[in-house]
Amino acid sequence: MEYAIETFSLTKIFSDWWGRNKVYAVDDLNLQIRYNEVFGFLGPNGSGKTTTLKVLLGLLYPTKGKVIVLGGDGSDPKISARIGFLPEESYLYRYLNARETLDFYGRLFGLERQVRKMRIEALLDMVGLKAVANRAVGTFSKGMARRIGLAQALINDPDLLILDEPTTGLDPIGTRQIKDLILELAKRGKTILLCSHLLADVEDVCDRIAILYGGKIQAKGHVRDLLQQTGKRQITTGSISDAAVDRIKQIVQEEHADCVVTSPMDKLETFFIKTVAKAGQQGRPTSGVVSDGTTQISDFLVSQSAEESRRTEILDKLVSAPVSRETSTKHVTAVQAGAVETSETEPQKELLSKLTEPAKPAKSKPVVRSEKVKAEPVVRRTPVGEPQADREQQEQTKKDVLDRLTGNGE
Amino acid sequence: MRSIWAVATNTIKQALRMKIAAVFIILLIVLLPVMGVAMTGDGTLKGRLQAFISYSLSLTSFLLCLLTIAVSVYSLTSDFEQRQIYTVLTKPIRRFQLLFGKLLGVVLLNTALLVLFSATIYAITIYTPKFSGATKAQLAQLDNEFFTARASLTPAEVDVTDEVLDTYRKLEKSGQLPQGGSRQEIIAELTRRKRLEKRAAVVGRELLWEFHNVKPLDPNQSLFIRFKYDVSVNPPDLHIFSRWIVGDYRQVEYGAKIETPIYTFDRNDLIRTFNEIEVPADAVAEDGYLAIGFFNVPLNNTPVIFSPEDGLEVLYKADTFTANFLRAVSLILFRLVFLACLGILASTFLSFPVAILLCLVVFFTGTISGFIAESFDYLSGNLSNVYSYTIRPVITLLPQFDKFNPAKFLVPARILSWSLLAKAAFSMVCIKAFFLLLLALLIFSYREIAKIII
Repeated sequence: MEYAIETFSLTKIFSDWWGRNKVYAVDDLNLQIRYNEVFGFLGPNGSGKTTTLKVLLGLLYPTKGKVIVLGGDGSDPKISARIGFLPEESYLYRYLNARETLDFYGRLFGLERQVRKMRIEALLDMVGLKAVANRAVGTFSKGMARRIGLAQALINDPDLLILDEPTTGLDPIGTRQIKDLILELAKRGKTILLCSHLLADVEDVCDRIAILYGGKIQAKGHVRDLLQQTGKRQITTGSISDAAVDRIKQIVQEEHADCVVTSPMDKLETFFIKTVAKAGQQGRPTSGVVSDGTTQISDFLVSQSAEESRRTEILDKLVSAPVSRETSTKHVTAVQAGAVETSETEPQKELLSKLTEPAKPAKSKPVVRSEKVKAEPVVRRTPVGEPQADREQQEQTKKDVLDRLTGNGE
Repeated sequence: MRSIWAVATNTIKQALRMKIAAVFIILLIVLLPVMGVAMTGDGTLKGRLQAFISYSLSLTSFLLCLLTIAVSVYSLTSDFEQRQIYTVLTKPIRRFQLLFGKLLGVVLLNTALLVLFSATIYAITIYTPKFSGATKAQLAQLDNEFFTARASLTPAEVDVTDEVLDTYRKLEKSGQLPQGGSRQEIIAELTRRKRLEKRAAVVGRELLWEFHNVKPLDPNQSLFIRFKYDVSVNPPDLHIFSRWIVGDYRQVEYGAKIETPIYTFDRNDLIRTFNEIEVPADAVAEDGYLAIGFFNVPLNNTPVIFSPEDGLEVLYKADTFTANFLRAVSLILFRLVFLACLGILASTFLSFPVAILLCLVVFFTGTISGFIAESFDYLSGNLSNVYSYTIRPVITLLPQFDKFNPAKFLVPARILSWSLLAKAAFSMVCIKAFFLLLLALLIFSYREIAKIII
C-alpha cells in the first residue's frame, strides 16, 4: 500500500438514454497520491475533477479502469469511515441546525455520544459558528454553509480528506483558515486531495499537483518543480539605505543582469485579515461568522492520541520516501517568500495559463511585491504571509486550547 | 443499526420541520372533534356512533395514507435533488441501511400519528353515549349492537347436484324433458329450482339450518338470529306468523338426554326488512353445534323464502369492541406500511412529481381493487389466456384496501377475526410490501448515485 489513492486507466463515459456515448468525463486517468501528501487537482470547469472524486467515493461507477482508495473500495464502510469529504457545494439538510447537522453525520460514523459532543463543540469553535449553532443551516449564507460542510468532513478525524473547491464562497479569513488547516493536518500525517481551480489556494498548500483538461492529465509533478524559474533570482531585505541598494545594483550589473528595485506592498489578504481582526477585538456585533483572524484548529484533529501516534508511526514506516515539508514560519525572516513573476519561457507555465483560461485567468495569481533584487535563487514555499508575532501568539493559544482539551480527555 | 436509527430520526425531523406532517396533523386535530359533534347518522345514538366511527376512521386512514406517500417519496427524492445524498452515502453507511432508515422513520412517524388519532377516535366513541343522556334500554342496545364484536354465520349453500341429476334422469326416462333447451340449460334451470326449494318453506312445512363452530365469548349473553323474509304472495298486513326453534337438534333427533335448553319463539314479523331474535347463548351445544328451525305456520297463506345473500345470519358476541377496534386500526397500519414501501421504491428511480403520481394511482386503484378485478374478470371471457398472464398478475399485486376496510367491520359491529387480520398482514405486508422493498433495494444498490454531473 504505497498510495493512498491510485487509479488505473480510469475512464468515465456518460451516455445518453439510448446508451450512446456522449461525454468522456474522465479519460484513461492514472493517478497516484501518496500517503501524507497534499495533492492538488486542477483544471477548468468541466474537466472531470469532480467526476473523478465521485468515482473515488463510489457515487459513480467507472466505465473502465479501477480505483483504489486507502487500499480498498471507497464505498466500503470500513474505508469510508476513514475519509472526510467536502462536496463542491455543502449539501446540507436545511431544517437541521448546525449542531444537529454535525450530530447527524457523527452518528453515521457510529461515534459515541461523548466523543460526538466534544468534537462538535470543538469543530463549531474552529469554524467560528458556535454563536449560530442553533440556527437552521437553511438560513446560513453560502460561506457559513461551507464552514459547516468543512466541519462535517472533519468529524471523523479522517485519514484522507477529499476537498472539492473548499474555498468557494468563503471570505479571505475562511480561505486562509482552510489553507492553514490543510497544512496543519498534513503535518499530522493526513492525506489531502484538494480539487480546485483557484490557483492561489493550490499553490499555497499543495505538494504535488495534476492539471486536468478534457478528462486527461496534462501535467503533474511537484509544485516547486513546475513553477520555479531557473533564469531568475529574488532577494528580499529589511529596511536598507539607498546607498546599499545602489551597491547591490552595482554588483548585479557586474554580473550583466537586470535589476528592479521596488517597495513591497501588503497583500490585500493580509490587510483584510488585520482589519477584520481589529473590528473583532473591539467586539462589534455580527450575525455572521465570529472571527478574530486567527486559526484555531480543533484539538482532536491536531492532538496525537496514543492510537493516532501509533498509526502515524506505521505510516512513516510504510511511506518509503516521506515527503519533505518545510513549514513556513522560519523562512519568513531569512528569505521573505514572494511569488516569482510568470515567465513566458517555461513551457509548463505556459500550459498552465492556457489551460486555466476558461476558468480563471492565470493573472489572478497574487503577487507579493517585495523590494526585489533579482540575484538569489528563492525556494518558493509558503502558506500565507503573516506577521511572525501573530503566528507565535496563535501557536501559544493553540497549545493552551490543546492542553485544556486533552485534560478533558477524549 | 446506529446509522439506520440516525437516518430514521432525521427523516422524522424532516417530515415534522418541513411542515408536511403539520398540515395533516392540524387537519385531523380540528376535524375529529368536529365530526364527533356534528355527525348524526340516522338520528339514533347508535346511528350517530356508526357514522362517526365510519367517517373518522376513513378520514384518518385517507389522510395518513397521503402523508405516508408524501413523506416517503419526498424524503429520498429531495436527498437526490438537493444532493445531500452525496454527503450521506460517502459516510460509512450501506445503501440498504439508508433505505431501511428512511422506511423506519416513515413507519414510526405514521404509527405514532395513527396511535394518537385512533386513541382520539376511540375516546370520542366511548364517551359520546355517557354525555348524551341515553336511557338504560338505549345503552343496552348499544352494548349488544355496537360496542361488541359479533361473529357472523350464514348457512352454507346445500349441494344439490345429485338430486338435480336424479330428477333429470327421471324426466328423461318419462320423456317429460322440456323442449328446445340443451342439457346444460335444463340442468342449470333444475339446479336453480332445487336450490330455491331448499331455501323456501311452504305453508305448514319447516326449514332446518345447522351450524358448527359457534363459539360465543360468554354463554350467559345472547346470540342473535338476523333474518329477512321474502314471499311470493304478499300477506294483507305484510306480516308473517312463524315459530322458531333454536337449540341442539340432535337431542330431539336421537332422543338423547336434554343437556342444553331448546328455545321456542312464536313471532309475527314484517317482510323484506331485517328482524332479529335474541336467543340466550347457552342454546349452543358444548361442541359448538347449533340448529335453527323455522316453521311456516298455517295462518300464513304464502311460502316464505330466505335469500342466499342476506336471508339468515347468526350473530353472537365473539370479542370485545376494544379488541376489535385495535385490530381494525392495525389494518390501517398495514396500508401505511405498504404505501411507505411503495413510496420508497418509486423514489429510488423516479423524480418527486412522477413518484407521487405513481403512488397516488396505485393508492386509488387499490381502494377500488375489488371492483377492478371483477370488471376485468367479467370482460375477459374471451381472452382468458392473455388476461390471466398479463393483467391479472398486475391486479393481484394491487393492495386490497377495500377488502380490508376497517369501517366495514366496526359499523355493523362484526368481528375482524385474527385469521383475517393475519391474512391481511400476510398479503399486504409480508408479500406485497416486501416485494416492493426488495425491488427498491435492488434498484438503489446498483444505481449510480451521482449521474450526469461532470
